[in-house]
Amino acid sequence: MTDAPWCVLVLDDEPLILLDLEFAVEDAGCVPLTALELGEALEIVERGHLAAAILDVSLGQGQTCEPVARALAAMGVPYVLHTGDLDRMDEAVRRLGGVLVPKPTPASVVVARALEAVPPISQQRTA
Amino acid sequence: MAQTRMAICLCDPHQPDAPIIFANRAFRTLTGYDEDEIIGRNCRFLQGPGTDPAAIARIRAAIDQEDVVVVEILNYRRDGNAFWNALHLGPIYDAEGRLLYFFGSQWDVSDVRAARTDERHARDLARELSHRMKNMFAVIGGIVNFTGRARGIENEAREINERIQALGRAYETTLDEASSGSIEVGQAIRSVLGPYDPDGRRIEFRGNGLRSDFSAVSVLGLSLHELAANAVKHGALSRPDGRVTISWKRNGAANAPTIVIDWIEEGGPPLEPEAVPAAPASSSIVDKMMGMARGNIKREWRREGLKATLRLPLREEAA
Repeated sequence: MTDAPWCVLVLDDEPLILLDLEFAVEDAGCVPLTALELGEALEIVERGHLAAAILDVSLGQGQTCEPVARALAAMGVPYVLHTGDLDRMDEAVRRLGGVLVPKPTPASVVVARALEAVPPISQQRTA
Repeated sequence: MAQTRMAICLCDPHQPDAPIIFANRAFRTLTGYDEDEIIGRNCRFLQGPGTDPAAIARIRAAIDQEDVVVVEILNYRRDGNAFWNALHLGPIYDAEGRLLYFFGSQWDVSDVRAARTDERHARDLARELSHRMKNMFAVIGGIVNFTGRARGIENEAREINERIQALGRAYETTLDEASSGSIEVGQAIRSVLGPYDPDGRRIEFRGNGLRSDFSAVSVLGLSLHELAANAVKHGALSRPDGRVTISWKRNGAANAPTIVIDWIEEGGPPLEPEAVPAAPASSSIVDKMMGMARGNIKREWRREGLKATLRLPLREEAA
């Protein structure tokens, strides 16, 4: 278990961005777990074992990543908020904190920002 | 008071239901009611189905506390047409400080409100547009990346992607002023070069509020991106203490105005003026782009670094 690579949740309602981020997470030596919508993301969060997450804020149809961010925050899993609209970002999501990464940012940089946030304890445990 | 053009009425709080005891001509003109339809009634006859109960509650509270307030409230004329009323109301006391009347002055602010709504709508639209455009550039970046990866040409894909993203940044600044038809050149320059100077210490910007037509955005944005990318690889930005100064100004004759941009590198690896470096591939791209835009770029290889001067026809907004 200690040698297992980190699992990183990637949530975005745009499949092509998801594909790009998935590759970038692989390139960083981690295991990407992708979710196109809230339900998928929450299932992945429930299964646990996440080192970090990349969350698109606006998921379409008025949904935001807030429930996922709350669940992750409760579990102490760091996440970055990947968004093209920092202004409109839901106040509740903003209050949850997390690193903001504006769209567009190269996928490799988004992943690097997400992994930076992994706390040292977790790094010792999983490294 | 009877003749002022501001609509005014007085209410008597000592009579049951505080009826209006006086209304001037402007009040009658504004509301469409005759004097005998006004006097003796409580002001609430101006309210209607669209009137916000919260606004009514604010008026009520002000009356209870003998406060002076301004409340914007939807009222209705005699003919049923609604108007936005900036109602200014407050108590009137006699010399001994006893409450005599409440005054109300009414001002039709429907036009003001409509303008505010339009403005908010335009702002929301610009923001939505900006959001979608950023998303689109993120998607394009994704496509280029995974295509490059699938084909084993990651480096080429990265180069293409960097150009596309520079273009995206240059256009991003134009959205806030999408309705004006022109862009502020300095904003586009700052936005394109921002990622090359995350701490804001290595690139100095010198210029004024020069504006240009949209058409300058792509060539300007991409040319500066190429210069910056080159400076990161081989020039001033490849050294920790290297610096770039970029300035922009309007030049040329009144009938043929020009945008002139000076790019000056300092503190990079020393250059031998005799040994002018062979133009890297990206230089010829800049030359081609500038030429196609009927502009040009002149490079001067000085010992302290590259000095490049870009000239582009300035297309101003049609008057």
